[in-house]
Amino acid sequence: MSEASAHALEHHEPETSTGIPNKKVLMWAFLGSDCMFFGTLISTHLIYRKISATVGGNTLDVRDIFDIELTSFSTFILLASSLFMALAVSAIHKGNLSSTRWMLFGTIIFGAIFLACQVYEFTHFVHVPGNELTLSSYRGEPHVFGSTFYVLTGTHGTHVAIGVFWLIGWFVYSFTGKMSTADALDIECCGLYWHFVDIVWILIFPVVYLMEYAF
Amino acid sequence: MSGHSEDPVLEESKRFFTFFNLSMLLVAITGIEIVIIYVRAFDGPVIITVLSICSVIKFVGVMTWFMHLRWDKILNTVLFLMGLVIAVFTFFAVMYMLDNPPEVKEFSVTPLEQDWEAKTEYVKGDYTKHNDSYYVAEIAHQSGDTFSTQIMLDNEPVNSWKKVEGIPHQISWKVSTGDMIEINSLKPGNPFFHQYHPYPEDNIEGSKISLLAESASTEDFRIKVRSEAFWVENQ
Repeated sequence: MSEASAHALEHHEPETSTGIPNKKVLMWAFLGSDCMFFGTLISTHLIYRKISATVGGNTLDVRDIFDIELTSFSTFILLASSLFMALAVSAIHKGNLSSTRWMLFGTIIFGAIFLACQVYEFTHFVHVPGNELTLSSYRGEPHVFGSTFYVLTGTHGTHVAIGVFWLIGWFVYSFTGKMSTADALDIECCGLYWHFVDIVWILIFPVVYLMEYAF
Repeated sequence: MSGHSEDPVLEESKRFFTFFNLSMLLVAITGIEIVIIYVRAFDGPVIITVLSICSVIKFVGVMTWFMHLRWDKILNTVLFLMGLVIAVFTFFAVMYMLDNPPEVKEFSVTPLEQDWEAKTEYVKGDYTKHNDSYYVAEIAHQSGDTFSTQIMLDNEPVNSWKKVEGIPHQISWKVSTGDMIEINSLKPGNPFFHQYHPYPEDNIEGSKISLLAESASTEDFRIKVRSEAFWVENQ
């Protein structure tokens, strides 16, 4: 191992009793708690989908408004952004700041595309003629599906938006000339958060969207 | 879990291929998920099973490699799994609570408009109608030849019927299970509301006589039953 490489991987983190940097432990504890948060939201959606299966005397069928091609596209986009994020973390560990910057940029762009798709989807759902899905109604009839759907996917979208802003912060910071391998842990924590929103979508996509086509 | 080699930079470089391969695998699995929906060649349970397996593989893949748990200390995995396990148990617990939906087997609202009859046995609490007025029996007695609110018992006049305001209705219900039952009138001009927590909570049978402002039928009423998180009603 070269001296430069060794220096690049030296993160100057203080010793901890667990042997893991405190920031990282904190991030994992947060992600564990966020699991419970999304667990309740997903459960709530599924339960109300089961017990409120009719609207206005007819079976609730939201396939008319779902655009599965668009949602599939945004799923692929989010998966690709996870690859960029993993490469950004890998690059900062190696001390390759230029690569880190561009991988962060790629993640931001893909995250922004995902958010744009979600904004378009929500707007389309609310305004689609004859099939309006609002927070409290579907096709003008009172129904709970919109509430659980928008709260679940909207909360995930909010997480993505927070992640995008966090990444933009790092991207801008990379131009100040202050970024170094000492920031590797912080970028890794940002990466953990980003991958977490990815795995939450991995669950939401089949549970909320694809299962509507199963029966 | 900490699998650092001699040269960490080289190791990070090797991970590029791991990340790329994993990413391609995730894309392929997502493709399978979408295709299985499009072909529509499988039954619902098969689709759900395949989707569940695909999701678990993707979930574990991202968690293990992208999130570095493969190379990190076990404490990180434990912390994350604690939240995940609680979330999964919460999900199954709530789904279990919904496995036993209540069923309204019988529900009826009947006006008690039987005309008074002579030489008939009445028990305390019986209702009868006489000259467009409604009465409730205050004691068990046998009616005489003509209607009277009093009868002679041991040479003493005793109140046998008491006039009531409103029309008596018998409301009866039979429910499979539930921890709360709520019955209400759907007509604002004919108010009625009754709510109670039955015990035991299975095979519930109930009946109630209530005085209403107007004559009503079953269609004018609603019964709503709650069991755990489940609500059902007769409408």
